[in-house]
Amino acid sequence: MGEIVGIGLIPGLPHLLARDPAPSWEQLAGAAREMGEEWRAAGAEALMVMSTQWFTVLGHNFQARPQLRGTYVDENWYAYDYGTFDYEIETADALVRGWGGEAAADGFQVHMTDYEGFPIDTGSLVAQRLLDPQRNLPMAIMSCNLYAAAGDMERLGHAGARAAAGLDLKVACVAVSGLSGGWTNRWIEPREDEVSSPAHDAWNRRMLEWLEAGDSATALAERERYSEESEVDSQLRALPLIEGWAGTLGPAQIRSYGPVWGTGAAVVSWNKQQGGSS
Amino acid sequence: MPHQVFRVPTPQQRFSEREPAPAAVERRGGGSSGEILAGFLAPHPPHLVYAENPPANEPRSEGGWEVLRWAYQDIRRKIREELRPDVIVIHAPHWITMIGHHVNCVPNPRGFSVEPIFPDLLRFHYDFKTDVPLAEAVYEEAVSEGLVARRMDHPGVRIDYATIGSLYLLNPEGDIPVVSLSCNNNPYFYTHEGLDDMERLGTATRRAIERSGKRVILAASNSLSHIHFDETPNPPEDMSKEHPMTFDAYRWDIRMLELLRRGRTREVRELIPEYIEATAAEIKGGALSWMLSAMEWPEIPARVLGYQTVIGTGNAVAEWPLVGNGNGSAYLGG
Repeated sequence: MGEIVGIGLIPGLPHLLARDPAPSWEQLAGAAREMGEEWRAAGAEALMVMSTQWFTVLGHNFQARPQLRGTYVDENWYAYDYGTFDYEIETADALVRGWGGEAAADGFQVHMTDYEGFPIDTGSLVAQRLLDPQRNLPMAIMSCNLYAAAGDMERLGHAGARAAAGLDLKVACVAVSGLSGGWTNRWIEPREDEVSSPAHDAWNRRMLEWLEAGDSATALAERERYSEESEVDSQLRALPLIEGWAGTLGPAQIRSYGPVWGTGAAVVSWNKQQGGSS
Repeated sequence: MPHQVFRVPTPQQRFSEREPAPAAVERRGGGSSGEILAGFLAPHPPHLVYAENPPANEPRSEGGWEVLRWAYQDIRRKIREELRPDVIVIHAPHWITMIGHHVNCVPNPRGFSVEPIFPDLLRFHYDFKTDVPLAEAVYEEAVSEGLVARRMDHPGVRIDYATIGSLYLLNPEGDIPVVSLSCNNNPYFYTHEGLDDMERLGTATRRAIERSGKRVILAASNSLSHIHFDETPNPPEDMSKEHPMTFDAYRWDIRMLELLRRGRTREVRELIPEYIEATAAEIKGGALSWMLSAMEWPEIPARVLGYQTVIGTGNAVAEWPLVGNGNGSAYLGG
């Protein structure tokens, strides 16, 4: 019988890999690395990932290519040291097929993505480098459908939890997503970085407080308004997905919060055992 | 059920690099032998390339979306036989750059591009030449216009499917040099408020072309209404499934095309924000505003060669013939 050993939210921007990071980038990266270490210490054998930067619009895509390797060149950040690196990912084959199968059984249109040369999104790659720098954990990666309703995301999370439970695997689940948008639209030095809008900053902090208090009902209810007022990354579809993974969301641990090029970013974790059933 | 995705307000900070580039300032007002021959609304759905079955694309189809493809055939003939441009300058909404307008200055972009949303339709081996001097001139003029911009000179950056699709459909031989511009998603993708910057980018593009001495065509790589299906038909080219996503979106598309056919670009310019709001029109990426601005919002009839939906989105192939249509080039240069 499989088990979810941890659930987390991390930002997926490559700035966290910078050689000369802003203080917030360094803290966010450190928090994510620490979370990954804890998951591995808890016996995690695979990562279940949803990244908002792999966005799709028709149905739901699951990465099914057994081995993914290549050189990542970011179309935004190619001029920086963190904009280019080699990668290698092993897909958690049974887990991703189980997840996709459970989603299909729930009535979702599922596409198993298996193409040589497929461009792996920045968020998934950053997640691997932070959470599993030695590349020991195979990954089951799902895209983020830009049209998915919150209820659908939650059901997709449930589908993932069922898939994990049906396998003899210890799984850690991570949603790769930012918080507020509002990019600082100029070339900045890392030390200049700050959340671009005080209103965004206030909203981010409010949302994190609800999560820390375990008030997921308010967090989910306010998600739409937060998204509209703070340009939130994919309308924080990560949150209902996380609830689906958890069954019931308990209090979160806010491990780090700060800006990445004007956007808001946080590393947050939930203890599955604390959160309830699946 | 129709959905609208992009509904996030624009950020506060947009401009900071307003210092003119010295080189651009020096050259401004110089020679103006370059000209824009025509502008094309050149939609990029990967379905159209897929339907063409070119050797460069791996997937195979039974065709489909013929009205748009026939329209492209007409354009291709005109480009090769009549216009014979030196360069195609293209603005595409799927090279999304968060910070600034990027100009591809890689001399020979080539590689294999798998489309991340429709990998079943587009896995394309691309290979084209960049007109580097013109690309650098566009960059310089953009900076002189006060826009945040960057020269993209990394050959490893994968070319996006919108650029690939429109370029292939306009010029499948790939023998006309290109200048490729990114879509500065940050201010533009989610709202109409950043379209002013796209118009300034158009102005910068026009100045760069004028001083280049080149004969250029422009391509705005975007769809019109952009509310679409949320599941894919099987097979994708099953035309019995194709229809406008909503009647309202269709009405909006036709209203805008009718205005363009009558040369009423000023009205179009005023309606663009409302159009985007009503239909999630992909022109919010800025390509159409960029192109019409580069052509100084020409009040000449656009030749609308075809309109058809692709997974419910509205798409039109259209031409603004600035030369060779009896109107001469009086619309250039103001």
